[in-house]
Amino acid sequence: MKRPTLGDIRACLEGAIPAVLATCAADGVPNVAYISQVFYVDEQHVALSFQFFNKTRQNILANPRATALLLHPVTAEFFRLHIRYLRTETQGPLFEGMKAQLAGIASHSGMEGVFRLLGSDIYQVEQIEAVPGEPLPAPPARAARLGALRRCSERLARCTSVEEALNGVMATLTQDLDVRHAMVLMLDEAAQRLYTVASCGYPTSGVGSELRVGEGVIGVAARERTPVRIGHVTNAALYNQAMRSSFEQDVPDLQPVTEIPYPGLAEPHSQLAVPVLAAGRLLGVLFVESPHDLQFGFEDEDALVAIAGHLGAVIDLVQARPEAPEGPEAAAPTHSSGSGAALQLRHFAANDSVFINETYLIKGVAGAILWKLVRDYVQQGRTEFSNRELRLDPSLGLPDISDNLEARLLLLQRRLQEQSPHLRIEKTGRGRFRLVVDRPLQLLEG
Amino acid sequence: MPAPVRLPDDLLALMRRGVSVIAGSRDAAMRPSIMRAVGSDMSADGRSVTLYLVRAQSRQLLQDIAATGHVAVVFSEPATHRTVQLKGSRATSRQAGPQDQAVLARYLASMEQEIARVGYPPEMTRAMLAHRLEDVVAVTFEPDEAYDQTPGPRAGTSLGGRP
Repeated sequence: MKRPTLGDIRACLEGAIPAVLATCAADGVPNVAYISQVFYVDEQHVALSFQFFNKTRQNILANPRATALLLHPVTAEFFRLHIRYLRTETQGPLFEGMKAQLAGIASHSGMEGVFRLLGSDIYQVEQIEAVPGEPLPAPPARAARLGALRRCSERLARCTSVEEALNGVMATLTQDLDVRHAMVLMLDEAAQRLYTVASCGYPTSGVGSELRVGEGVIGVAARERTPVRIGHVTNAALYNQAMRSSFEQDVPDLQPVTEIPYPGLAEPHSQLAVPVLAAGRLLGVLFVESPHDLQFGFEDEDALVAIAGHLGAVIDLVQARPEAPEGPEAAAPTHSSGSGAALQLRHFAANDSVFINETYLIKGVAGAILWKLVRDYVQQGRTEFSNRELRLDPSLGLPDISDNLEARLLLLQRRLQEQSPHLRIEKTGRGRFRLVVDRPLQLLEG
Repeated sequence: MPAPVRLPDDLLALMRRGVSVIAGSRDAAMRPSIMRAVGSDMSADGRSVTLYLVRAQSRQLLQDIAATGHVAVVFSEPATHRTVQLKGSRATSRQAGPQDQAVLARYLASMEQEIARVGYPPEMTRAMLAHRLEDVVAVTFEPDEAYDQTPGPRAGTSLGGRP
């Protein structure tokens, strides 16, 4: 019989059934202990949760050889991993990924407050042994994720804008992967916050809502640039995105009035957050959740990582492409001025927040962009704009090309769609857009 | 002389009832071996423990026990994580026979309930503990060490025997 690979037995590494570890002390006395978590690192390595300073700990430091007994959660087939202790990690992506999963395991097994990850003990897998037995039939393979990935890849390959790419990813999640609740958040690097640009499955879109990097499942995935998956969401405040109190009081520009509510589920049971990276840079986070336990397995994580990688590449590519040449300005319906009651736009320079008719719309870079657009419109009658001029405008404080300008414009566009139907942004070409104004504008500072 | 192992009554009751049993040993090169038992039994005075292993699943473990006499056995109640580890250094093995059948059947019945409490159907338990009597080996030992291994602040507390 072919020896199983670690990939073949990943279902045993989901934490559903605790593993058991045999070690041996220097004096030759064996020891057996339950291990909450045997975590898949790669095809040659696993990481075991180090939670207590116990005999197992003493033994592996003295004698690195260990044997783990795993049970398949569906077939009841046993596997033995013959492993050798290498080192312990107490921070970083692997540690954080395990810590989040362990929080879920602890919650699931009524061990909250008892299970705490002190370290990730990394072991080399020397041999995997399938133990003979009378296993139950293997579960049928779930709906082909490879086909879903193919369709996602095709959708993304056709995209020419960040908006289309996000729509393509949402379509894949909901139509092909049976995900009901998802969102994409982009990184504001300077502020170390993540802002929602797309979502589906929630009563309100939450576009524009913000989280801090490091906060909750999403923030940890961003900070550590690693997938974070919990199959049984704990009430531990650390991971509960929705339970968070409002932003810190000591940050003056974050008044409650400028806070768009986080759209996520109030009582999620399963969550999976995957960083969106491109060229080694963090762009944002792709996040899915469910009101049911154990909704996302390692195969879902694999699929989301593949989707996030493609999304990151597309976002980077469409933003780096040269802008379309200047179109004939005359074609634009300049300064339509609009009719009806004036829209009153109020700008607060302290945080670039903009209110329309005293209702909060947006702040930060997207707020500064809107303020520039409406000023140019009112003062010069301009309605046609290019991404390039925004990048070059020192008053906007765009850090550099890596600032995800397209995503900020999309955020602005969507906020306007939701909050102010008489003021719109329409794309007119690659790197070009138009401000459409249906009402007279009245601009006020402060 | 080390203090004799004195297991609390509630732990003894749990072990007599039949909960998860995992056994380990090691070879001359200190490589650990491990397998789940398909049954367990306690002597009337509580001093001697017998566990049942399927030979084909436990070749290395049985070889190590025969060669070294060392055995470490964990009893754990799945629903509560109540756990105790016993260690022996003079374990002996014998082929299981018809006299063991009732013990094995009682153990399976108990485990079906224990595992059902954590959400798995009886088929799962029966597959996990599947065996034919002629393939089963009974390993008996008198524990000379015992430790409370329930996760939490008291984990690792000695329950008697050598430190």
